[in-house]
Amino acid sequence: MTWELLVFVFLAACALVSALMVIHSREIMHSVIALATCFVSVACLYVMLNAEFVAIVQILVYVGAVVVVILFGIMLTKREIMESERR
Amino acid sequence: MNLYEFCNIIIVWLVDLVNNLWYWLGDFLPWVFGDFFTGVGDLAASDGHIAVMTILLEVLVVLIVAIVNVLNFIWLDRKLSGRIFDFYGPYYVGYRIGGWLQNIADGMKLFVKEIITPRDADRLGFILAPVIFVSSSFLILATIPLSPRFGIATNIDGAFVPAGALFAFAAFSIAPFSILLAGWSSNNKYTLIGGMRSAAQMMSYEIPLLLAVASVFLLAGDFGFVGIVEAQADIWFAIPLFIGFIVFLVCMAAEVEVTPFDLPEAEAELVEGWTTEYCGMRFGFFMMTSYLRGYAGGALATALFLGGWNGPAIIPDEIWFLIKAYIVFVIIEWMRWSLPRVRVDQILNLGWKRLLPLAMVNLLIAAGLKTLGWF
Repeated sequence: MTWELLVFVFLAACALVSALMVIHSREIMHSVIALATCFVSVACLYVMLNAEFVAIVQILVYVGAVVVVILFGIMLTKREIMESERR
Repeated sequence: MNLYEFCNIIIVWLVDLVNNLWYWLGDFLPWVFGDFFTGVGDLAASDGHIAVMTILLEVLVVLIVAIVNVLNFIWLDRKLSGRIFDFYGPYYVGYRIGGWLQNIADGMKLFVKEIITPRDADRLGFILAPVIFVSSSFLILATIPLSPRFGIATNIDGAFVPAGALFAFAAFSIAPFSILLAGWSSNNKYTLIGGMRSAAQMMSYEIPLLLAVASVFLLAGDFGFVGIVEAQADIWFAIPLFIGFIVFLVCMAAEVEVTPFDLPEAEAELVEGWTTEYCGMRFGFFMMTSYLRGYAGGALATALFLGGWNGPAIIPDEIWFLIKAYIVFVIIEWMRWSLPRVRVDQILNLGWKRLLPLAMVNLLIAAGLKTLGWF
């Protein structure tokens, strides 16, 4: 097993696990954090493929646009933490 | 000799020094133990180990230079604001060097304070937000070379990465995410309002910023810092693209949230904006990182518009770069302490109706100059 394969497996596992966390976490903001992690992992995979430009644009466009997702997440969803007193 | 070769010499010397000990132990101890220490020595002298240690030393050198500059910037900011408001600024701690040590005293004070996580905060986001903010901001500095020989973002051949300048702006664009995350997860209405304002402001000012930068890319025909600076050997881009330079400075002030655009942390309206619930060294990191982004903004303006390290050869290239970055920072600070804050209902008007058309005109000018064949 070479180092390159090891790094690839790590990044791919990061992308897959965070993609699963996007749909499985109960708090919408945790989903958004997982989504950003997924995008960054995919950008790192692009770097491994010697496609630096695609990786940079991936971060610039997708991770930047996650903010808009957060905005909609805050505006359009109910927030449990604010309401429960005992947490 | 560039930074990599310099660090390589130091690391090879250090590895030789330490390997004397391992090989002496290998000779001295019997059988397996001796073989073990000889193996450690061989491993330490291998090419891969030396390359990794060299890169780590390079990162350390660049980090130390950046942090010393950030300390200078904080000191300069406090001194300038003091002079503009007619008081002395930091004075007593290290008064022989103009109160320079005040920052270190403040940092030590923040370092020993208790770190409190509010009970109702969202723990994951609350802890993760400073980490993302600080790491993405330090990532900007990794891409900015102070001269062709002083920088770390190089590929395996030693040449700088082809899209370094674009990468700096990609790293810039991660920050609104962490700011909104911090504002939301603190579970406080002031932080949430601050985070929302910050997201709106940063997202809308990033577009004219990137359009102004796109005109520079167009004129230089390159995404990397070295190519852009070499394209400015004859004339600085601030002269043909003067509108773009002004747009860049204003948008950079908005991106690093200094006073004409410090709505996200407006002290009079929101307590401390999106950093209200943070205390101790987490707040210290936010504070230091905002100045670090100011330094990165000055360095980017220098590299993209003010000719980077070009200058008469009396002074070394790196010093030229830093002088220009300091001048840009002083101009931003002057603006900061002289102008009143933009009101919350005016901020998006300014961004979308004034700066965006100006950036478009600037892009048009750049395209015209390129078509005429002047660049």
